Parts: sequence; C-alpha cells; structure tokens
Amino acid sequence: MEIFWKTIGLYNSSTWVYQIFIIIAGILSTIFLIKKNGRRSAIAMKLFLIVLYLWISVVYFYIYCEERNYNELMSLFWGVLAATWICDLIIGYTTFERSSSHSKLAYLLLIMPFLYPVTSLLQGKSFPEITSPVMPCSAVVFTLGILQLFSKKINLFLILLLCHWSLIGLSKTYFFNIPEDFLMAGTTIPAIYLFFKQYFLSNPLTVTKPQIKYMDWMLIGICTAVGAILIAALIITLSQS
Amino acid sequence: MANKFLSDLLRQKQMDSPKEILSEVGDFISEYSSHLMGCGVHTSRVIRNAKRIGNSFGYAVTLSVFQKNIILTVADLEKHEHYNKVIDIPELPISFEHNSELSTLSWETYDRHLSLSALRRKYLRILRRPAIHPFFVLIMTGLANASFCRLFGGDWLSMGIVLTSTITGMFLKQQMSKEGINPYLVFIVSAFVASLCSSSSLIFDTTSEIALATSVLYLVPGVPLINGVIDIVEGYILTGCARLIHALLLILCIATGLSFTLLLVKDNLL
Repeated sequence: MEIFWKTIGLYNSSTWVYQIFIIIAGILSTIFLIKKNGRRSAIAMKLFLIVLYLWISVVYFYIYCEERNYNELMSLFWGVLAATWICDLIIGYTTFERSSSHSKLAYLLLIMPFLYPVTSLLQGKSFPEITSPVMPCSAVVFTLGILQLFSKKINLFLILLLCHWSLIGLSKTYFFNIPEDFLMAGTTIPAIYLFFKQYFLSNPLTVTKPQIKYMDWMLIGICTAVGAILIAALIITLSQS
Repeated sequence: MANKFLSDLLRQKQMDSPKEILSEVGDFISEYSSHLMGCGVHTSRVIRNAKRIGNSFGYAVTLSVFQKNIILTVADLEKHEHYNKVIDIPELPISFEHNSELSTLSWETYDRHLSLSALRRKYLRILRRPAIHPFFVLIMTGLANASFCRLFGGDWLSMGIVLTSTITGMFLKQQMSKEGINPYLVFIVSAFVASLCSSSSLIFDTTSEIALATSVLYLVPGVPLINGVIDIVEGYILTGCARLIHALLLILCIATGLSFTLLLVKDNLL
C-alpha cells in the first residue's frame, strides 16, 4: 500500500511535464477525431494510443514502479496492449467511425481521467501522491470512451484485455484501498455490456442457439452480478475507512 | 412431345438402375462418414454407422479410415457391383449433437428402411440446425474454467481472474481459427495470452499459482485424447496413434505458451 503511493509520487514528481504534453496530445487527437472524423484522424488517434500505452508500459511500470512486485509483468501486459494497437494500425481493423448511440456514456468516460486526480484530492491526498490522467486506469476509461463514441467497428480483443484490467482495478479497490478505481470499474460495466451486445448482434448467423434475447438476458445477468460485487466492495472499503 | 416423354423415361430408368442407386448411396455414405470423422466421432462408431446405413440398402460397406482421408467401398454382393471413393475429412468443430443425432439417424434408416431421399433430407435437417452462438461458447468456457479453478482450490478472486483470462484467450482462439491460422500457432498464442492475463493475480494475496495453472485448461484437447484411446483399445491403432500424436502436439503448444509467461515473470516461476 505504502509502496503503491510512493511509486505514484515518484512518477508524478518526475514526469509531470511530459504528462501535460501527453494530455494535450490526447485532447487534440480526440477533438480532431470528433471534428474531422476520417482516416487521418483515426491514424492520429491510434498513434496517440500506441504512444500512451508504451509510455505506461515502459515509463510508468518498468521504470517508476520498479519497487512493486511483478512490475515487469504489468509492463508486459501494457506492451501487449500497445502491440495490439500497432497490429490494428497496420491492418486498419478499428475504423473509428462515429456511432450515434450511447454518446452520453462515451463523453462521461472521456472526462473520467480528469476526475481521477479530483477524487484523490477530495480524499485529502496531495500532489505528487495522487492519481493522474496519464495512468493505467485513466488510459483504460479514456480508451473505452473513445471506442464507445466510435463503436461502429471495434477490436473486441482489446476490449477484453481492458475488461480484464478493470477487473484487476476492482480487486485493487478492495485489496489496496484505492477508491479511485471505483470510477473505472463503475463506468466500464455498462460500456462492456454495450460492446458485447453489439458484438453478438453483429454476428451474421440470424438463427442461433440460444436465441439473441436470451443471450442479452445472460449478459445483463453477468453485468448485474459484477455490479453487485462492485457495490459490496465499495461498502466494505467505506466501512473499513 | 413424344421424344421428350421417351427421354424422360430413359433418364428415369437410368436413375433407377442398380449402378446409379449404388453410386448415390455410396456418395451419401462418404459424405456422412467424413462429416462424422470431422466433428470428432471415434473411428469404430463411424464405421458401424456407415455399415448400418449400407446394410439397410442391401449393400456391404468397407471403410479404411486415416487421419485426413477415408477410403470407401460399397458393394452390391448380389449383382457384383462395386463403388469406390476416397474422401477428404473436413476440419469441423467438435459437435456432440451431430455425433448423437447422426448416429440415431443410422438406426432410424436401418429400422424404418428410409428411402435415400428421406435419409438425405433428414441428414441435411440435422446439419442445418442453428449453431451455438460463439459468444455463448465464450462465456460458458470462461465459467467452466473458473469452476476448474475453484475445484483445484482457487479463491473467488482467482476465479474472477481466470474467468476474464479464459474469455480473452478463447476469443483470440476463435478469431485466429476463423482466419485459418495454423492450429499449433493458435494454441501457443492463446495459451500465452490467457496465462499472461491470469498472471496479474500475482500482485494480489491470492491463489495465483492455481489461477495460472487453470487459465489454460480450456485448451486441453479432451476429445482427440479420448478418441485416440478408444480407437487404440478398439483396434484402430493407426487413427488412434494419429489422434494421440495430434493431441500431444497441442498439449506441447499449450505448455510452450504457458512457459513463455512463466519465463517472463520475475523470479522465474519455472
């Protein structure tokens, strides 16, 4: 727990200038993608995400989180995520085509990285030992927000990896007493539901076993169960603190 | 008009000729047996079912089954006519439903003496039944693997991590198989990704070794292993050995993928 916040403090105090550049690049890429949605803006966003993921992999986990156990593993996980984006950039699978549905949730996810430091400050923490927008969990919610806003054709493998990271975040709230991660876990549940629903609705098979409506119910059941676990973890964490 | 009638009559007569019927039955049996082999039925059952269908039409059926092909001979012993064919075994997903339904169909053909057209109609109806949705398979595989984790003594957090790791690995396997990538490569990559995801359990105070070990269990080729043993026990040594070697290679691929993760983990878990 102490090592966790110590490494975050070291990371923030040493890299805050670079983090500002990354945040500005992220804001510009997002505006470019929203205003001039096309091939160029999609490539720009993918390049930004590759840089962001590599930054988290190398700078955050490998260099500044050296004190933590198994930091190489986390670094490798984010390296795999970056590699997935590189493959996507080469193949051109994710088109970042705008979809009109669920844009409110998407915008909520997009502003979520800025709520992370606010939540830390509200808890009485002070810079540099606060969560920042250029950290793994903030990157996850930002990516989910972007993909939710441009969800016409998405890379579900990437979503699954991010979903896995959200689950780790959910566990961290309980084990390491980091309530900030409730933001990520809480917002990713509806996003994941929508991504998966879109995935099984896009299946070319019209008649399947079980029928689509039962699959939808099953997905709602799973998301409700995860939500219930999240609420239970939140109650336990609050009662402990 | 008269010419058309005569030509139709002639064609009908040709169709109904013993040789034509023999070849049609042979074609059906070849398609039926190759489908059964493709969807993971053990050799003796395929041969029994094919012989049963042949018998119901009064023919003797002989099959030589290999890993990739079947050599089929259908003989009309009364008229001394023979039909021979070499068929490729298609690569199909394992289907217990097809196994059971098609075996039942062979009994129905034998008991009720179904005509060839009725038999083919029923066969196609079984094949055209709705497929299980890949998303449903994905979720069920994840839940099954999480249950395995529990059975081996894993706690709830490990189960959750195994669930999402399995779903991620399985999804990758489904997509790579759909793209027609080499199955051995698919197994190595899927095992690596699933074990890498489950290795995130190491950062928590949980049963991480169990999570790591059980995260790749969904890849274990159970059907080829069981079929291989059944084939050898029933005397089909060649197909049995081929199936066991194939299963062994897949297990080696799982071990390779898992080893990559273990080698990368700090303090060398290997």
